[in-house]
Amino acid sequence: MAAAADVRDMLDLPAEGQSRPSKKQKVVEKRPEGITRELYALLGERAPPIAINENKYKGRPKFMNKLRVRKWCMTPFTNNARSDGLVLNHWQREHESTRPPAPDATQMDVDTTADGEKPEGTSTQEKEYRFAKYNVKARVPRRYTDEEYNRHLKSDDWTREETDYLMDLVAEYDVRWVIIADRYDYQRHLDSEPEANAIVPAKQYRTMEQMKARYYYVAATMLAIEHPPSEMSEAEFALHEQMLKYDPDRERDRKDLAALQLNRTADEVREEAMLLEELKRITSNEQNFITERRELYSRLEVPISVGNTTMYQTSQGLHQLLQTLLQADKSKKRRSILGPEAVAPSPAGQTPTQTTAPGRAETPSTTAAPKETTKKGSAAPQPQPSLRTLTPAEETRYGVQHHERLTGGVQFRSDRAQKLTQAKSNVQTQKLASALAELEIPVRLFMPTERVCKDFEKLIQSVNLLLDARKVAEKVESEIRVLEAAKAERERKEAPESTDKDPEHREVKKEADEAGNSMLSSTAADAPAAASSTALPTDGESAQEKTREASADASAAVPEEQPAKEDGNHKRSASVLSNASDKSFKRQRR
Amino acid sequence: MNPSNPPQTAEYGGDEVSAIVLDPGYSTTRAGFAGEDAPKSLISTYYGKYTADGQERLLYGDDIYVNPHPGFSVHNPMGRDGIVEDWDMAEKVWEYSITSRLTTAKPGNPFQNGLNDIPAEELPTEMEVETDEKPLADSPLLMTESAWNPAKAREKTIEIAMEKWGTPAFYLARSGVLAAFASGKASGLVVDIGASNISITPVHDGMILKRGIQHSPLGGDYVSSQIRALFKKNSPQPITVTPHYLVNSKSPVEAGQPPQAKYRTFPADKAPDASWRALLEERTLSEFKECVVQVWPGPNKLSAASPTGAPNEEVARSSPGRPFEFPDGYNQVFGVDRFRVVESLFDAKAAIADPDSPFPAPTQAQTIPELIKASLGGVDVDIRPHLLNNVVVTGGSSLMYGFTDRLNHELQQLYPGPRVRISAPGNTAERRFGSWIGGSILASLGTFHQMWISKKEYEEHGANIVEKRCK
Repeated sequence: MAAAADVRDMLDLPAEGQSRPSKKQKVVEKRPEGITRELYALLGERAPPIAINENKYKGRPKFMNKLRVRKWCMTPFTNNARSDGLVLNHWQREHESTRPPAPDATQMDVDTTADGEKPEGTSTQEKEYRFAKYNVKARVPRRYTDEEYNRHLKSDDWTREETDYLMDLVAEYDVRWVIIADRYDYQRHLDSEPEANAIVPAKQYRTMEQMKARYYYVAATMLAIEHPPSEMSEAEFALHEQMLKYDPDRERDRKDLAALQLNRTADEVREEAMLLEELKRITSNEQNFITERRELYSRLEVPISVGNTTMYQTSQGLHQLLQTLLQADKSKKRRSILGPEAVAPSPAGQTPTQTTAPGRAETPSTTAAPKETTKKGSAAPQPQPSLRTLTPAEETRYGVQHHERLTGGVQFRSDRAQKLTQAKSNVQTQKLASALAELEIPVRLFMPTERVCKDFEKLIQSVNLLLDARKVAEKVESEIRVLEAAKAERERKEAPESTDKDPEHREVKKEADEAGNSMLSSTAADAPAAASSTALPTDGESAQEKTREASADASAAVPEEQPAKEDGNHKRSASVLSNASDKSFKRQRR
Repeated sequence: MNPSNPPQTAEYGGDEVSAIVLDPGYSTTRAGFAGEDAPKSLISTYYGKYTADGQERLLYGDDIYVNPHPGFSVHNPMGRDGIVEDWDMAEKVWEYSITSRLTTAKPGNPFQNGLNDIPAEELPTEMEVETDEKPLADSPLLMTESAWNPAKAREKTIEIAMEKWGTPAFYLARSGVLAAFASGKASGLVVDIGASNISITPVHDGMILKRGIQHSPLGGDYVSSQIRALFKKNSPQPITVTPHYLVNSKSPVEAGQPPQAKYRTFPADKAPDASWRALLEERTLSEFKECVVQVWPGPNKLSAASPTGAPNEEVARSSPGRPFEFPDGYNQVFGVDRFRVVESLFDAKAAIADPDSPFPAPTQAQTIPELIKASLGGVDVDIRPHLLNNVVVTGGSSLMYGFTDRLNHELQQLYPGPRVRISAPGNTAERRFGSWIGGSILASLGTFHQMWISKKEYEEHGANIVEKRCK
């Protein structure tokens, strides 16, 4: 300390030496009580924080010291729910308003002795016992009079006495049937029936259903006596109906079933649990399936966008697309998109379909086009060269395909199917589209699987054939019409000089026949081709039929009948496709 | 919460009127103030009798265990079926249980209260109740009874309470109902495993269903008799139970070795009665029950095979035994035998035969599963699943290790369909004093106070009123 003072002196600092000792003093003062001074001194200045528990009476919280102690006193009370006026005592907080605070202890003693009478007079009369309100009884019907009983309630099964007994029990046990049935013990008065003494009467055992049936009958009758059903309120009427409709037999059957249910064996219980589990599994599976299906459809029905796909045709572009989709999915907190079936449809929403046609003009025609697989499928055959040869069945199952030639980049099968519907001319395209619409086949396929695409391809081919055939038929028809018109003209001219013109006429007719014949045979040749392209087994037969018909038509050489026959011919060829297309042809003809 | 505020009536429907709850059992009598969580006064129902100076003396409570007076005999006023047999003594024992701890003697005239007398002779240990002072003059009394208590016994009970004890209000409640209340249920199937009886009581809406009541004598005392039978047949040597008071000193011995102890002997004229020895042996046996005896927890009977195929006995044998040292120093490890002594509560065939036992061999109908089956058969089918869902286990003997597990398994085997749920308080006191606690709850409810039979009503209608009011 002195050294410090010297230093201060030397440095001309003010003598501030008091601060340190005072601080030390403070620390010493803070010393907790559970520790000796010597021990505490050993701890040094910066003692670790230690908690020393003192066993001390905690006492009341400080804020409560200001509160005045309120008095409780033993107060007698009566219960209104009782009829005998039993007086019991309980502790009650003394009401501040009723008495002024007692100034001193002796006064208080006097007060407590006086307590006995005073609150009894005031509190019991003024306020009701607060639990008395819970004294409620169940509502039971009014008791019948003798006359009412004799007129309405007589029963072979139930005597008046037993009915009375039942009604008493019901009132006593508040319509708790379990207890009523348990306590029901009706003893017939033997002395009133002397003949019953001779034979010990078999103890009549009433079931709960019998009791209920009787009680409900009585109660419903009493309700009806009080208010005729026409004057009843809605609730009363419902109650009345319910009571009248009580069927003891059904109730007994129900209880038998309940007993059976209760006494099942462990095996039955296990089986039932298993079945329930199975049912739960099935329904949840179905639910899952439906939601997945819905999700898939909603993805398929995304409006066709018309952007450029070229940016997605490189692997880099695809990777980028995948990233953005992943991001989008993450933000949507949906299932991972990485599942194989999720990858294929999701870009479909964004891949443009209409504009890909020029970009892929060089891709081979439909028949020669290599079958594309999904991105996984196209990659799979390359890096794994025949680890295991698959049987054809397995190949179809796993969707393995072999290609003669693979084009670079990614293609969508749906795109290719789409391209088929594009004909060279706009008119033809429209016709194709309308034919498809007639068949209720969407222009954009749902689920363009490989098989679907193949079939679609075939369909489009046959539709094309049909359209061609129709074109030819129309041409022939118009020619016939022209010729007919010419013929009619000539006949009209030749009508006066009919004698020498006959051979000419015949010649012209023959000419016309020949023309019709050749044309018809060409249509007939077309039609079987269309038919055979659909690859239906019955086609050959129908095609033959058609050729026969066509030749018959030609040989018949009756121009007036031709249109009708033509119509029939069209019908036949159309039937190869479907009825729907048949209708469309008829319509288009018209 | 500020403790100085009274609880709201909505949250707690209590209104205490300083009622006394008395729950007399065969082994112990419980008494205490309503609203408390355990009985203040717990005494043995046995009372001791001896003759000193040509005068018959009676001892109650804990005093009966202490001094081996010459010819000291113990008796029980209750019958084995839980119905009072000796009404005079039952009244005295019950009164002792109330007056010894709960009601203090009113300060009398100091000239006469005995404190200022010169003690000419030793004052009798028992509490002398002044005849003019009724012990219960200002406390309503709630008593419990067994579900099969006959009407005569009930009338006698209210007579004692009203006329001898002068209680202002009285109620007689069924112990089964109260045990259900103690576990917070108004309906349930109460399985009470007492000292002299086991009983099954179906309770619906706070009322017993009389047709479903079942009881059988396979209680704690029966288990004691089974233990004695086991000791007789013990393999190295039969075990004799020597109570503590007969052992002066002992030295430790190896397990299974004969005891080395110095015994206290009484001359024939000074020896206490055999019943007293039996009582003290019973204390050792209850210690044995607490420490060693175990109920085979199931799933099947001890004699049957477990679900895995191995016989249960083998499984039980492979579990480590439990050692027990008797008062004379003899000690032994009890293996599978500790399961056998209680097995007959569930499987009558497993009973250890003992011709000297006061208990006849149990029938299958007396076992707990059969009792429960019979009990449920007596109630309406609609409430059976509900009862099975609310099985309340109470009674001191139900504290045997593994009892509730076994009961659960047995019930699930009997009724695989409905859900079986057993509610057994883990707290020992709550299990032992289940019906007392229920009574304590009931008697402190504000809504209950309209149910009391008041003195006035008793005087008007006579003792028969108990039949009408306490249903």
